[in-house]
Amino acid sequence: MESSELYHVKQQFILGAFKALTALELPDASSPDYAPTLLYKARSYIALNDTTSALQLIPSDTEDITLKAAASLARSVAASNLSDQEAVLEELRDFSVEIESEDFEGSEKEKAVVRVLAGTAFARAGEVEEALETLGTETEDLEAVAIIVQIYLSINRPDLAKKQFERSKRWAEDDLLLQLIESNIGLVTGKDAYLNTSSFYTEQIANPSLSSPHLLTARGVTRILRNEIQEAKSDLEESLAQQKDDVEALAAFVVAAGLGGTKPSEAEELWLRLEKEHPNHPLVVDVTQKAELFDESVAKFPVPPAAATVA
Amino acid sequence: MSVMLTKFESKSNRVKGLAFHPTQPLLAAALHNGSVQLWNYRMGVLVDRFDEHEGPVRGVAFHPSRALLATGGDDYKIKVWDIRPQNRRCLFTLHGHLDYVRTVQFHHEMPWILSCSDDQTIRIWNSTSRQCIAVLTGHSHYVMSAQFHPKEDLVVSASMDQTVRVWDISGLRKGSPNSGGPGGVGGNGPGNFETFDNFSTVKYVLEGHDRGVNYAMFHPTLPLIISAGDDRVIKIWRMSETKAWEVDSCRGHFNNVSSALFHPKHELIVSCGEDKTVRVWDLAKRTAIQTFRREHDRFWVLAAHPNLNLFAAGHDNGLIVFKLERERPAFSVHQDTLYYVRDKYVRAYDFTNGSDIGLLSVRKFGSPYMPPRTLSFNPAERAVILTISSDNGMYELTNLPQQAQGEVKDSSVDGKKGSGQCAIFVARNRFAVLNKATQLIEVRDLANSVVKSIKPPVQTNEVFYGGTACLILSSTTSVVLYDIQQQKTIAEVNSPPVKYVVWSADGAMVALMSKHTITIANKTFTQHSMIHETIRIKSGAWDDAGVFIYSTLNHVKYCLPQGDHGVICTLDNPVYLTRVKGKTVYCLDRSARPRTITFDPTEYRFKLALLKNNYEEMLYIIRTSTLLGQSIISYLQQKGFPEIALHFVQDTNTRFELAIECGNLDVAMETAKTINRPECWDRLAQQALKQGNHKIVEKAYQQTKNFDKLSFLYLATGSADKLSKMQKIADARGDPMSRFHNALYAGDVEARIAVLRDVGLHPLAYITAKTNGLEELASEILEAAGLTQADADEDVPPYGPSTLKTPPVVTPSTDLIWPSIPQGENFFDRALANGQLEGGVEPAYVNGDAAVSASSALDAWAKEEEIHEELETEEGGWELDADEEEFEPAAEAIEAAVEEEEELGAGATPGVSETELWIRNSPLAADHVAAGSFDTAMQLLNRQLGIANFVLLKPLFLSIYRSSHTYLSPVASLPPLKLHVRRNPTESSPSRVLPVAARSLQSIRSELVEGYRHVSGNRLADAQSTFRSVLQALLLVVLSSDDEAKQWRDTVTAAREYLLGVSIELERRRVVEEEPDNVRRNLELAAYFTQCELQPPHMQIALRSAIGAFAKANNQAHAARFAKRLLELKPDPKIVAQARQRIAAGDRNPRNAVDISYDEFTPFEICAATYTPIYKGSASVQCPYTHAAYLPQFKGALDPLTNLAEIGAAASGLPAPWS
Repeated sequence: MESSELYHVKQQFILGAFKALTALELPDASSPDYAPTLLYKARSYIALNDTTSALQLIPSDTEDITLKAAASLARSVAASNLSDQEAVLEELRDFSVEIESEDFEGSEKEKAVVRVLAGTAFARAGEVEEALETLGTETEDLEAVAIIVQIYLSINRPDLAKKQFERSKRWAEDDLLLQLIESNIGLVTGKDAYLNTSSFYTEQIANPSLSSPHLLTARGVTRILRNEIQEAKSDLEESLAQQKDDVEALAAFVVAAGLGGTKPSEAEELWLRLEKEHPNHPLVVDVTQKAELFDESVAKFPVPPAAATVA
Repeated sequence: MSVMLTKFESKSNRVKGLAFHPTQPLLAAALHNGSVQLWNYRMGVLVDRFDEHEGPVRGVAFHPSRALLATGGDDYKIKVWDIRPQNRRCLFTLHGHLDYVRTVQFHHEMPWILSCSDDQTIRIWNSTSRQCIAVLTGHSHYVMSAQFHPKEDLVVSASMDQTVRVWDISGLRKGSPNSGGPGGVGGNGPGNFETFDNFSTVKYVLEGHDRGVNYAMFHPTLPLIISAGDDRVIKIWRMSETKAWEVDSCRGHFNNVSSALFHPKHELIVSCGEDKTVRVWDLAKRTAIQTFRREHDRFWVLAAHPNLNLFAAGHDNGLIVFKLERERPAFSVHQDTLYYVRDKYVRAYDFTNGSDIGLLSVRKFGSPYMPPRTLSFNPAERAVILTISSDNGMYELTNLPQQAQGEVKDSSVDGKKGSGQCAIFVARNRFAVLNKATQLIEVRDLANSVVKSIKPPVQTNEVFYGGTACLILSSTTSVVLYDIQQQKTIAEVNSPPVKYVVWSADGAMVALMSKHTITIANKTFTQHSMIHETIRIKSGAWDDAGVFIYSTLNHVKYCLPQGDHGVICTLDNPVYLTRVKGKTVYCLDRSARPRTITFDPTEYRFKLALLKNNYEEMLYIIRTSTLLGQSIISYLQQKGFPEIALHFVQDTNTRFELAIECGNLDVAMETAKTINRPECWDRLAQQALKQGNHKIVEKAYQQTKNFDKLSFLYLATGSADKLSKMQKIADARGDPMSRFHNALYAGDVEARIAVLRDVGLHPLAYITAKTNGLEELASEILEAAGLTQADADEDVPPYGPSTLKTPPVVTPSTDLIWPSIPQGENFFDRALANGQLEGGVEPAYVNGDAAVSASSALDAWAKEEEIHEELETEEGGWELDADEEEFEPAAEAIEAAVEEEEELGAGATPGVSETELWIRNSPLAADHVAAGSFDTAMQLLNRQLGIANFVLLKPLFLSIYRSSHTYLSPVASLPPLKLHVRRNPTESSPSRVLPVAARSLQSIRSELVEGYRHVSGNRLADAQSTFRSVLQALLLVVLSSDDEAKQWRDTVTAAREYLLGVSIELERRRVVEEEPDNVRRNLELAAYFTQCELQPPHMQIALRSAIGAFAKANNQAHAARFAKRLLELKPDPKIVAQARQRIAAGDRNPRNAVDISYDEFTPFEICAATYTPIYKGSASVQCPYTHAAYLPQFKGALDPLTNLAEIGAAASGLPAPWS
């Protein structure tokens, strides 16, 4: 059983309150909560793409395999080129092998954490099969399930995602993370007009024990999906007010602006800002690709001569 | 004797109650074991069962209009059920009866339920308040049945006390019974019975039965009552306002009669009893017409369908549903006329004008209760032969009158009769009659005398016309085509008993229809195909193009000559098809009334075109219909046209499958790259290997890291340098076996030795070195291994140096690919390339004219031939200079990736993405843009609106795409999920999801208003660009109704008119500026501007500007005309004054100084390229999008107004997916 502090940390982590976690004071080094809290804090930095801080936080000489794995994940997130990336993935593969060996002394929990971190890194690198393999589709670790489900969703297999979820329901009771997983599935399938997701986020926003702009962003996105554009915009504006440079909220705001209410010129301005500040955001990357695709497609249609020349 | 035709039978426990659903093919059966079954008798399936009663259930009834069922059982309870499948349940239970409940019934309009019981009472319940509102007492024994009168406030009941009683319940309707009676709501107890008697009184007591009475009912229209009793008698009673009396009895049952019903439509009585019979009686004559006997089962209950000719009877072991007479009307089609029989009249129905007249009465022919079975028409003599199955089968030959007369002729006047089961015309003056019992076919002349007798070669049950001088004989297992003249069998086809035969219009094809099969044969039976149906086949007719359209109990379907079939539409009730023409099916319904059904023949036309290789037609269909479904793709694939299917498919996986199937390696390669899964590469490798394209094989092996095969491939192609590379890779992978292989293939002895040494097989290494004459190396090995020569040589016989040499490469085929015949560019490649469909006209739908179809098919082939030749000269086929693919052993290749991929988590194949669903679900360009499929979006715009210049649309495309997808990462550090914004968030079914509509018609209309403001503010350049942008945005609007489509067109037209007007005015200003002397042009343009359809305020601006210009040029007459038009718009008083001055000036001086080309009295359109008038009647071409007019010479040019569309291009217009 974990202490209530640790539970709270975990809850914040799950709901994406990473900023709050990074600001967290670590408990006493002798406390049993020390290592797990440190880990969550490090992972929060990683989630915020602040890998430098994450690596600073983790003692370089640590013997704790979970921290080592977290450091690897941080390096993998930071890796700018393929070979660096590959080297880091190799480390994680080693860790995965190590925890499977018989003389590994760590607890089941540690093993699970290592798998989750490794799985995350693999999934980031696009090694879908390897990630699934590492996490194990029969796992009873909810964090792993969350990743598996998101992987399935990202490859358009909501059916498999649902299966995972149904399977987890049997042993995970009504864990917060389980609800999040269900909400994620709803986000993709759009069942009952995204009702589940929308109520999940509305509930969590009302949760007094934490506040996270991520939740506002998430509800904003859900509202976009529900075609409630004005409401979405107000959520996203609030989220941006709390966290000015949040890419996710900004990207969603661009979409909402494009869908209604905003003048085309303003929407365009927002888009240019996103394009300039976050050239690596998937939306930007995707649209850039599509722009190229457009040019390719256009080339297939010969433009008829201008009328003036005909006359 | 009429025929009892069983439609459905079920086995179950004893059936005590039955009820037909008034509209759906449902039958409720109450069983003795306590269960209530709900059958779909048409499909023969048990739909539902209700099992909450304890003990037998006797009473069952459907609500006449709502989905409710009432049941009453031996548990004294009445239960009311909701029978809708989604919320089937017992709604409520009525308690009150003190003994078995016998029957229940809903009132036809009041919320009342009538029940009767062994407690000697009849009760009426209010189903809304769920209270008993009346208790009718008076019977002194079990009440066996109680029925409402169909119209009046009467109830008839039958009881074991040997009486039938009629009750007046009109009191019930007047006041609210519960407030009227002192007992009030609680008045259910026996002590309160008398409180209800105010409302219901016994009107008549009918005495006459000698035993208990089981059933009694009112006649649906006449003042008659029928009752059935244990005295084995059915009694008919008549009633007047004041009394009721017995009319007659029907005697014949030799045991208790359980039930007797009036036929809902005919003057018939149907009864059943414990003597195991169902009997039919003539109501007028009270004589038995027909008896249907069962061996073991006593009948307990009978029910009649309220509208259809359908009855159900329940017995000891189940139930039967039957009809008394055949419904299939006898008919025959000749040219545009349908001859058919309705209500025993032969009628003629003209397909072309719908006239329907009675020609001949056949009332006296055969049994009066039975319609004729078949009709055969002889156009030469204008005669008909009818057959009827009564009296053991007889026929009658009669001439039809030339015209319809006042008095319709009766066939008995000059009809020639005879006995026989089938009779058909076989020639102008001959007909054939089959006698089934004697198995003799007689050919008779028109005088009805036998000219020839034929002994059929098989046991024949029916005969049909078989073409000139031929008969078709139907036996139990086959059909025989039989030549009458030569008296011999021409052909025989195995088939279940054939019941109907339909010839195609040209007599080339025949459809032989059995209960569940159709055999399509040519006229000599030499070719045939058979279709099986699980549902009963009812009728069929030939389409003019050789497609057979047929109907089953619940579908209209088509069947192509080679046996393909599919559904055209579903039917509520069976119909009998008589003819198919274009999109219309003519048919007779169950009551023999002519009807038409229109349907969409696209699917089968497409398939037919495919079969006939009629590409023109296919292309036309593809272009004009929304045929792009999964079904058509799988059809094409299944029928061996993968290359055609390839043109329809967007989905990469399917594309890959198809490309592999039709051997299109380029497409396969391209798609394999996108899919990038080992199975794909494997299959690609196999296919490429078959075609000898080792380049692709190599690529595929590299992708799957199939090192062994790769090495062997290099060996086979003699690619020595690649082999040595493979050695290096094997080295890097740390796979000695592979290294050894590669060394062996490459003939590299040193490398081989090195491998052996590395793995510690020193003796082998030594021997290898030794036998290859590498003495030095051999001793070095020995030394390194710490061995002596003796150790190594001990058991090994001495070898001389190997004399075998690695064979040299004779022809380096590394860069050569096995030549293959260049695939001709196929018709569709050309037609669909880049979405540039050649504008075309609909090819005449081949109307059964074989010559036309054959020649067009030939044309298509001929075209292909030509293209083959062209290509052969273009392309050498030897891709000698194909780029060399460098195989780079990337760092990760060395990893265990290969092995890991083998044991993938099952089912991790990517699914269908939402964007793909969008593309599939929508024919709208806007949706394809949102899905990111710009290519297809452009094709659609091109096809639908003739858009050819897309460059301007780029920002629009990108902003729509961008607004349709959003991202969220709910799990830390994972890449965000790409989410797709739908416009129908309540819909999550993959076949219906659609992307969000980024631009609404509303928002664009507000932009249009913005443009109007620019016009008012004289910012014409801004206005011009605004209107252009409006017209661009309108291209990508999602419309959802006819209404919106109309609004859309209005908006397009308004924007076009303003754009044209503004452009003209801008041109005029340019003329004034740059060519000040060109007054004439200046004036013309000013005049044209006033001809654009503008709103009044803007029209005023245009007119005032024109007045100014014309007045200045001293064209007073014109200026006055404009002023008059201005006055019609009722402008400000100030402007009115000016206008009047202008008119006065014009009156004073009605002349024009400058002669201009402007005739305001002839309607004209303005060419949007030259700004010159195109007067009504002169030739013009249109912009396919805005419909702006242009002079004919601009056809094919880019329209200068919007710069989007190709002037005069063919366009199909926007699709209307909502309809």
